[in-house]
Amino acid sequence: MYKVLVACRAGVGSSLMLKIKTQQVIKENNFPIQVEHGSLDALNGFNGDAVVTLIDVAEELSSKGLKIDIIGINNIIDRNEIKTAMEKFLASKGN
Amino acid sequence: MNFIISLLSTPAVLLGVVAFVGLVLQKKSATEVFTGASKTLIGFLIFGIGAGAMTGALQNFNKLFQYGFGITGVIASPEAATALAQSTYGFEVSLTLILGFVLNLVFARITKFKNIFFTTGHSLFFSCVLVLIMSAHGFDRTTTILVSGTLLGFLSAALPQFCQPFMRKMTGGDEQAIGHFNMLGYGLSGYIGKIFSKYEDQTTESIKFPKWLSIFRDFLMGLAIVMLLLFYVATLKAGQAFTQELAGTQHWLVFPLVQAFTFVAGMSVLMTGVRMFLAEITAAFVVISEKYIPGSRPALDVPTVFPYAPNAVIVGFISAYTAGLLAIVVMASFPSVFPVVIIPAAHICFFSGGTAAVFGNSTGGWRGAVAGSFVVGLLLAFLPTILYPVYGTLGIEGATFPNIDYNVFGTILHSILQFIKPL
Repeated sequence: MYKVLVACRAGVGSSLMLKIKTQQVIKENNFPIQVEHGSLDALNGFNGDAVVTLIDVAEELSSKGLKIDIIGINNIIDRNEIKTAMEKFLASKGN
Repeated sequence: MNFIISLLSTPAVLLGVVAFVGLVLQKKSATEVFTGASKTLIGFLIFGIGAGAMTGALQNFNKLFQYGFGITGVIASPEAATALAQSTYGFEVSLTLILGFVLNLVFARITKFKNIFFTTGHSLFFSCVLVLIMSAHGFDRTTTILVSGTLLGFLSAALPQFCQPFMRKMTGGDEQAIGHFNMLGYGLSGYIGKIFSKYEDQTTESIKFPKWLSIFRDFLMGLAIVMLLLFYVATLKAGQAFTQELAGTQHWLVFPLVQAFTFVAGMSVLMTGVRMFLAEITAAFVVISEKYIPGSRPALDVPTVFPYAPNAVIVGFISAYTAGLLAIVVMASFPSVFPVVIIPAAHICFFSGGTAAVFGNSTGGWRGAVAGSFVVGLLLAFLPTILYPVYGTLGIEGATFPNIDYNVFGTILHSILQFIKPL
């Protein structure tokens, strides 16, 4: 089971929808992924495997040398995009 | 019976019950239902704790500012304003919020406005604005909730339509709408951008910004910097003697530091609470709209448009904040016209000014971004002066709601109510 943090700047609006959609995708596909939800500040002390966020935030995070995967999503209501991103993440973990 | 009334008139419990119903309807397991309902309840209590911390710091700021400058300085933060109201009007606000969700679905089903408004934090603040205006006019609880909920539901479905031409242009599709109650401002910014349509290609994205400016992308840091400046300016103007009285045993120059960060800490706690208590209710809202409102379009929070022009967001923040500072000078110069001075909060200028700039940029390049967000900055500053005295009659003072749609529709409601007396 992998653990991902769905986050945005304030951790309320856009990430809440992204979390709901990500959970739908995970449930539909039975992905071995568990979802947490927070603001970017929740990254400190997050001991999971990846952070899922909007694409512009993901680009900003990529320069910060995080030890976990960064998954950027363009359209937070596009289940196909989220599904592809999750599959890519799982594949990179050897699934 | 008293037990039941007391239980259900506690907003936290009420929202917990709504989450419970939502989870049961989604046929979740018993554990998920219990956890989800409890977390909604806990979330609302956390929200109240954050609100308390913010209110305390805010009151100290208001005292310092008032004494130092001889005028009332009002922080334009809807979170802080809602914090001030939530202990007295929490029940009406919660029910308005829920009724607003339900009626948003109904209006999306029966009218051509197919937008479902998912930025539920914003719905919460709008509920608060409407409830305060109704209450100030002396309406009873039931009327207040019915009128406020209907307005909220209708505007949630209808207003995103105003921005949709620009959303179609930016996203290249029609599946997604913007859901943030400055929609009149964002649309306006898009139209202002059209003045510069000749320069549409010279966008904000070719500008190189100094790296330190990106600190304002961090929501809490932007707020922290501005609050620190505000507290120190107010403290130095109020002087040692007055500040020391407020500070108690703390050194008078340490006091503003701790107070500014307490305000930010309170905001962080409050947002954590909002995140928790809205999570389950929003999820149910999503499931219901997908199932029962065919052809509906989600109206989403503003960061969803940031990827279309990340630089424009910074341009918009600077431009809107500049407009806000200019507005302070104007308000302070004409105290006979403006009884209070509205002080812009960093995060509002970032999210609202930034989004206005993304819209302006889409039609008029960087010129459109600067002009559109500047106008939005002026509106965010000047519009709240109209309704501030109305909230004042209810004791909601020191913070107010800057957002454009709150103020435009709030003012319309207030004007109409002046001719209609409660029965």
